[in-house]
This record gives sequence, C-alpha cells and structure tokens, in this order.
Amino acid sequence: MSAEVETVADKQATAGALLRVSSQKISRLMDLVGELSLSVTETVNSPDLDHTGDRTQFEAAAHRLNMIVREVQDAATELRLVPVDEVFKRLKRMIREMERQTGKRISLEVIGADTAIDKMVADRLYDPLLHVLRNSADHGLEQTDERIAAGKPEKGVITLSAAQVGSEVQIVVGDDGRGLNRDKILNIARKRGLYGPDEEPENSKLWKVIFEPGFSTAEKVSNLSGRGVGMDVLNTTMRDLRGRIAVDSTEGVGTQVSLHIPVSLAFLDCILLRQGTHLFAVPVEDIFEIVKPGPESCMSISAGSRAEMLRLRESHVPVCRLETFYGDSLPDLVPLSDTVVIVLKAGSRLIAVPVDEVLDRQQVVMKPLSGVLAQVRASWGCALLGTGEVALVLDAERLAAGEN
Amino acid sequence: MTKDQTVPAEAETLLHDDDNIDNMYLTFAIGKETYGVPIAVVTEIVGMQRIMTVPDVPRYIKGVINLRGKVIPLMDVRLRFNLEERAYDDRTVIIVLELSGSPVGLIVDRVSEVLEIADDHIDSARGMGGGEGQGLVEGLGRVGENVAIILNSAMLVSDVELSMPEAVSA
Repeated sequence: MSAEVETVADKQATAGALLRVSSQKISRLMDLVGELSLSVTETVNSPDLDHTGDRTQFEAAAHRLNMIVREVQDAATELRLVPVDEVFKRLKRMIREMERQTGKRISLEVIGADTAIDKMVADRLYDPLLHVLRNSADHGLEQTDERIAAGKPEKGVITLSAAQVGSEVQIVVGDDGRGLNRDKILNIARKRGLYGPDEEPENSKLWKVIFEPGFSTAEKVSNLSGRGVGMDVLNTTMRDLRGRIAVDSTEGVGTQVSLHIPVSLAFLDCILLRQGTHLFAVPVEDIFEIVKPGPESCMSISAGSRAEMLRLRESHVPVCRLETFYGDSLPDLVPLSDTVVIVLKAGSRLIAVPVDEVLDRQQVVMKPLSGVLAQVRASWGCALLGTGEVALVLDAERLAAGEN
Repeated sequence: MTKDQTVPAEAETLLHDDDNIDNMYLTFAIGKETYGVPIAVVTEIVGMQRIMTVPDVPRYIKGVINLRGKVIPLMDVRLRFNLEERAYDDRTVIIVLELSGSPVGLIVDRVSEVLEIADDHIDSARGMGGGEGQGLVEGLGRVGENVAIILNSAMLVSDVELSMPEAVSA
C-alpha cells in the first residue's frame, strides 16, 4: 500500500523535480561555455575568411570549436547523471516488507550501486524494479523448509547489480531460488495460444512470455504479486526508456532478470536515413544489418496484398515500406533491389525497411513529439541533427506491429 | 510594415499592462481577409525558413522547423481553411503560438499589426456555419471600418475536420 502512495508522489516529482548537482560539475560546464564563446569568436573572426585561398587557420579554429561543443554536450549530459544507488536504497527498504509478507528470510546484495544513470531514467526505474524484486521474493525464492530440503542456505539471496556496458546500463535482479519451471510456463503459453502444442521454443525465447500482460503461473494471488499486472508496468516503462528485458534461469539454481537501459535519454547514437523527402533516424542498437539487396533476394507475394519479403541468408524477413506505412500517397514503389535495406530488430523479430539513402551516423538530441505531432505513429520522437535538420526517430517494434 | 521581430517586442511591452492583454490581438492576412489570434498565445514571429517534412500528419501540417533547438510543427493556415495553396514569398511569415503547452507555427500570407479590440466590439460567431459544437471562428472584431476574424486557436490544432463556414471564406 505504501508503495502506491510513493508511486503517485514519484510521478508528481518527475514533472518539475529538482536535481542535486555537484558544484564541480557546474563549474566545469561554466568553464567550457566560456571557452566556447572564445572559440566562436576565434572562428568567426578568422583572418582566413577575408580572402579565399588558405583556410588552414579557419579549419583549425572550426575543429577546436567542434571539440569544445562535444565536451559541453558531455558535461551537460553529466549534470543529469546520478548514481543508481538512489533507486537501490529505496528498494532495500522494501525487502523488509517483502520478508514480512512472504514469511521468507531474504538478504539483498547490492553490486555496482555507484553506476551512473540519467536522473530521468532513475526516477522511472523504481516501479519496474520493485516489481521484479517482488516476483523474485514471491515466486523465485522457495519457502524456508523447501530450501533446507534442497540443501540451500535457509536465507534466500536476491542480488541487485548494476553495471555500465557501452552506452547501456545493465541492471540485473537475480535470486538463488527454484528457477523458472519450463513445463509449467510452456503449458500456460500453449493454453494462451502463444505456442502451438508441438512447438518446443528455446528457453531464452520461452522465458519472455512471462512478460506478457496478464501472464501468471502463480497458483494463488498474493498481496505481493501474481496478479499479472506488474509486468505491464515493467513493459511500458521499458518501452518508454527504450530498454530491453532478458531472462535467464536454471531450474533449482535461480533466475536472473536483466534490464538493459540507455544511460542517457538526452543523446542517442543514430544512423540517419532518407526516404523520399523525409529524414529518419534509427538508434544504432536497433540495427541488425544494412544490406544492398540483389534482385535474387527480393520476393513479392501477390496473394498477401503486395507483401514483400527480403531473403537474408537462410531466412525471410518481412519488408516494411515507410511510404506505405505512413500512407503517403502511394507512388510506384521503387523495386527493392534499387533501395538500401535496413534490417531492424523489433523485439525478437526482424523487419526490413527499404530507404533511398543511408546518410550518416550521428549523436542526436531527442525531443518528444508533442501537440499536433503526437499523432505520428511508430516514433520515439524528433531528433535534432548537427546540421539543424530534424529527423523522425523510428521505433522498430511499433513499426513491425503496425496495422498496415 | 516589416515582418521581423518588432511585433513580439511590442507584445513584450504590452505584457506589463496586465489588464489589457486579454483584449490584444495579433492580426494577419490570408488572402484579402484579416484574422486575429489573442496575443497571449503568441510567442514569436519568425521569417520563413527551411521546412523539414514529417510523415503521418494531416495535409495542412507542412512539416517542422528547428527554432533554436525547439521542434515546431508548422500549419499552413490556407490549407487548414481548405483554401488553395499559395507559393511562399518574402512576406510569408510564421507566427509561433504556444497552445496548451505545445508550440505550433502558423504560416500566414503576412502579419499585420497588434490591435486592441474590446470585448463589446466582438460579435459572437455562434451559430455561424450551422455546425454543431465549437467552430474555428471565435467572433468578428470590429476595428473602425474593418473586421478582424478572431480565431479560436485551440480549435486550429484540434483534429476535427473543418467545414469552413461559407460566410467567412466567401
């Protein structure tokens, strides 16, 4: 109950929240901004600009300006970074509550609490993490007598760890409990029509079904979990944060749920694309492959309302035309073999998106779509490019799920 | 009449006069007609700039511009009114409005002036066009011999398809 109250307060807090920033970080930014203005003056007043010809001085000044701008960008991003411990501390307090409600003895081990993460991300992590923790405490860990019978220490261990991997933060909630029960999950997945009666999906694929809304194997609904609602919160938050979830489990040994989240929401490493007159950006981590298809790897299925497939080595990838998806007046589609095809990871599937041109790889600033732009489908937001242009950041998953 | 930033500057000084700002309207021209929007929702006026197209928006949203790091969708008011499109020239300007927290830029033929129109000089447009619900026209403001058509700016950006009242577009 107390958690719910906290949640409401949370949401209010994120709207106009205050942020503690060390004066050191601010000083650094101020210094850089000072240098920035000097550098701009130097560039604008470069003697090379007076006459055509030698441009070495100007180019050196412009290069320096570029470097400083990048540093300002980094310093500004850092202002919003906080240690993930802010979230972990609040979660630690909930463990006692969980012990009381489950009657189990739990010890929480925290690793990498000083990992830095965007404040905006940190503020939204509490609810989904709390949910994963509750699941571990409730379903993962066995009752004390069961643990003793299995030769495990009486006290269950939940590990909460964070680490930065590339531009992502990985947060792992692990327990040393009974692990996921393959038969039970497969059974329910089949009942719900997620898998056919004869399908034997790989574990890593099967585990993902536990994130399906309303999916619960708990025999009884407890105060803590088993309602199958919490996973919705987890899914929604992860989608908003552009994160991914992975599960690993060994029967009798334990389960690990890992959340992969970008460190910062402010900057995004993107590949820029042009399709017709529109510019698009795709986060680098969503790209599986970029191919220039030959005629032999393109296939169209007239029976499937002009559906197209791209042959990618052993498999066929459905083609999603942006111009069709967005319902721009349907021109004659350029043959697939005349386009460049970006193969995107959309959850566990792949989709092939043909474009006219692949432009560049850039760190872009993301802005949310608001007002009349809110209706644009399958997009995370607008990306401001270095050139001052604006591109639409594509959300591969929603593109793949699109009704068109 | 210049089309540069003089108008917002003027609006700025007027802002101090809290009592009157409600009655101030920025007027602009679409063809031969004069339209007005409450000055309170206007944030600035900028010249035409490079528009970047965006998919999945109505026809009258021409695209977006990047205004000092803010992404602003642009609405061609002519297209919004179902009028014929007109090539942009050096008098075409963008009036940037802030409507319920989101910016939107109106592309208009030219910007005119800031007028003070008292409430009792505005004739209600209710019943005009015969449509049920709220229309795009808030009222008709009488300014001397002329009439400024006061727009309901919130309706401008709503999804509702317009059936423009004949009386106004004629």
